This record gives sequence, structure tokens and C-alpha cells, in this order.
Amino acid sequence: MILDIKERLGKTKYDIDKSYAHITVDDRICEKCPHNFCVMACPAQCYTMQDGKLNFQYEDCVECGTCSVACDQGSVKWNYPKAGKGVIYKYG
Amino acid sequence: MPDYDAIVVGAGNAGSAAAITMASKGLSVLLVDRSDPPGAKNLSGGVLWGNDLAQILPKWQSEAPLERFIQDKKIGFLTDNSSIVIDFKTKIFEENKVGHTVLRSKFDPWLAKKAKEAGATVIPGITVESLATKDGKIVGVVESGDVITASVVILAEGINPRLAIEAGLREPLQDWEVSVGVKEIIKLSPQKIEDRFNLTSTSGMASEYILGNLQELNVGAFFYTNKDSISLGIVAPMEQLRANGVTHTYDIIEQFKEHPSIAPLIEGGTVAEYGAHMIPEGGMDMVPKLYGNGYMIVGDAAGFGFSNGLVLQGMNYAFLSGMLAGETAVEAKAKNDFSDNSLALYRQKLESSYVLKDLKTFKDIRKVTNNKNMYTTYPKMLEGILLEMLWERGQPKKKVRDILGSCAADLKMSKLKTATDFYYIYRRM
Repeated sequence: MILDIKERLGKTKYDIDKSYAHITVDDRICEKCPHNFCVMACPAQCYTMQDGKLNFQYEDCVECGTCSVACDQGSVKWNYPKAGKGVIYKYG
Repeated sequence: MPDYDAIVVGAGNAGSAAAITMASKGLSVLLVDRSDPPGAKNLSGGVLWGNDLAQILPKWQSEAPLERFIQDKKIGFLTDNSSIVIDFKTKIFEENKVGHTVLRSKFDPWLAKKAKEAGATVIPGITVESLATKDGKIVGVVESGDVITASVVILAEGINPRLAIEAGLREPLQDWEVSVGVKEIIKLSPQKIEDRFNLTSTSGMASEYILGNLQELNVGAFFYTNKDSISLGIVAPMEQLRANGVTHTYDIIEQFKEHPSIAPLIEGGTVAEYGAHMIPEGGMDMVPKLYGNGYMIVGDAAGFGFSNGLVLQGMNYAFLSGMLAGETAVEAKAKNDFSDNSLALYRQKLESSYVLKDLKTFKDIRKVTNNKNMYTTYPKMLEGILLEMLWERGQPKKKVRDILGSCAADLKMSKLKTATDFYYIYRRM
């Protein structure tokens, strides 16, 4: 019953906007971040550490906005996805 | 002349309730939502009590896509090994059937349809880019570069209110104002649900827990039965997550699912959906100025949420605040005055409703929900007391008073500290 996060995200429906990232991060700010709290806070594992560097992908984002609060360094820029794009909950 | 009397941004509970209230009184209303169908971005983590909804949609109980009515409500603590739960099952719930579990992807499109039937123009799949302003007044919304104008814009954007923040109508959210909710839908047959939870084909169960098995985090959890699925999840305050700094939010929910009292309940089920949503927790202190020249803020966007560990409020505040903003707009239209001064009526209406009354009554509740002992020491203390009282081990029995004393001592809590803590919890809850 316990599933890896990637497997769980695989159950959720999306219409991914391949041409527009609704969240952007500023690598120069992230390099100096003292805590990388986004990695712990993001429920969709969009933020990961790879070789000591923060890696961000928006495709799995469930649009909760957690990272916009978790990031207190001014790196995360959060916008709504374009019309109808992004996560589409079937149950909610 | 503006294009509409009112534009409502967001077709969740608050936005649709506002649209229904205004359209049914003859106002021209545009209701937009960034998802198509509306509600596809929303998650419910609570029970919908329909008292407010009944005012605008008296037949909601027979028409709305509801899951199960709440016959059985449980509240309790989970420790590593135990669950200590109060199981409140009452004929009163059964006779009134006003509390229901809902799935928002089914419920919200129905509510938006009701707004359309009331006369509102409903357009899903529209992302508003920004608010249009003129001479310090909100005059409409900008979409695909076009300005659509209205006498009043009602912001029902939800807990992550980008438009309101961007326009400077509220401050960006801070840690203390929000919790992170993480939720899963577990598919289980109606037969299994009814057998496992002792339910009929229409009755349901709603449980809320304090997780005493996570040492460093004050986390709550919920578990609700739907028709053919379980909604379960955790609610973790952002402040706690940051202070802890080593726990992934997506792992906490799995720890809840693995608990010895929870795992058997979802045995044989399959995960059908995973999601997350923020929840307003800042109470009165996070409520922004709720109105101004040409706008009002409703629902989660206004910070209208509340939890004291016993009751979770969000959807019901959304309905009522949406309705009160709608009524205010109707009166403003009659006066043809959508100024700051005129829309102040919305705040007055909220002041005399249970929304702001609750937030004021429980203004110190975060001192309880942030109290570490509530999530670590007291569940363990309770477990110790129950073991001592209920486990027959061939030893002489102690009086409850002495058990309490020794359990407190085991957890390095002085009697005075415990008594003081209890007193303050009692005062604030």
C-alpha cells in the first residue's frame, strides 16, 4: 500500500503545458540558499538536490502553492498555469 | 458602462455561492475559473455541512453529488502503537443528514452549473492574468491581454491568491498562515467500506486524528469514507515543517497510512489519486482588508479557515462569505455605489456571522495547535494511563490520580506544568 512518490503522482491526471513553466526558480539565488526547505516542503517532489545543486521541474506540480511560501529567498516565481493546463483532479 | 455588474474569479464554493446570490437577484455576473471543468484544482479535506448552502439551494441534499452523510464522527490520537479515539455515532446526525463527504471534482461543477441556471455567465478554462485598475479602483480583469470590466470583482481565488497578492490587496503568505495538506484517494468497493466501517449504503464516517507518532511535528490527519473510495490525508503546519527541516511532506502521509490502526482499514484498496493543497490556519490575524473600491475577497483567499483539532472549517465559511459578498453587491447595485465605503457592508455582514465570530472566539487557538505536548507528550500520557487502567498484569491497581502522576513523571512533565498546560488548552479551545 505504501507507494513511492513518483508512483503516486503517476495516478494523478495532468494536461502538461510543454511550452510554459508556471513556476520558475532563480538558480543564482538557489545556489546560495541556506536551507533548501522547498525540497522537504513540496508534496510533489518538484524540487530535488542533485550533486549538491537544486533541480526543479514543474511537470509534476499539483499547484498547491507550498513552494511560494516555503521559499523565503525570493527565488520562486509562481504564476497560474495557462487556461485549463496543469493538474486535473478527477476526484478532488 | 462596465461589461458586467460583477466578475467572480474562481468557481469554488465561495465564488459559485457569490455568483448564485447575485445572479438570482438579477445582476449580470461573469464567473470564471482557471480549470475546466471548474473545481478540478480543488481538494476537500473536510465535511460539507449544508446549513449555509441550503439558504441559496434548498434542494441541495437531493440534487448535489454528495458521497455519504456523516453518521459517525471520530476524533482521536495515534501513538506509535495505539489509537485512542472517541467514536461519536448519533441518531441526531442520521435524522438531520446535513454533514456530507464530497469530492470536489464532482461537487464544484454541479455548483457552477447552479450559478449558470441562476443566470450567471460561467466560463471555465480561463486564467485571469491580472486585475485591471483605474484611479485606485479595481475595474475588471485582464485575460489574454483583453480587459473585461465590472462594477465589482469578487476574488475567490483560493488559498494561493496570486491576483490579490500581485495587486497588493493582501501580503504574500507567511509560514504561520498556512498548513500543507496532502491527500490520497484510495479506491475500495462500497461493500468493503460498508462492512469495514459498519455503514449503510448512504451513511459515512469521518475521522480526525492528532498524530502523536511523529516526534518532531505537530501533524493532524483525516480519514473519510466516500461512496466507493476513502479520502485520507495529513495536515502539516508550514512553521513546523520548516523547524523540522528533515521530513518530506509526501512521506508523512505514508507514515499515517502505515499506522497499525489505519493500515487494515485501507487493506486491499488502490491509490487512485494523489494531491496537495494549502489550508488557511492563521485565523483572524491573516484576514486581509476584505473589500475596497470595486472588490471583495471571499473564502480561502480571505483566509477563512479554522481548526481547533475538533472542528475543521473551510468549505462552509466559503459558502457563507460568498453569499454575504453577493448580498453586498446586490445592495451596492441598488445604490449604484461600489466604493470602499459602500462595500464595507460586506465586513459588517461577516462580523455578525459565525465566520468572523469563530475566528475571534478562537484567536489564540494556534497556541494550542502549536503546543508540542499536544502531539507528543499528551497522547503518550493518555496511552500510559489507559494501559495502566485497562491492562490486567497481575499487579495491584493504582488510583487514577497516582497513575496520572507516574505517567507525567515518566514523560518528565511536572504536575504543575501539566496542570497549567491543560488549563490554557481548556481556556483556548
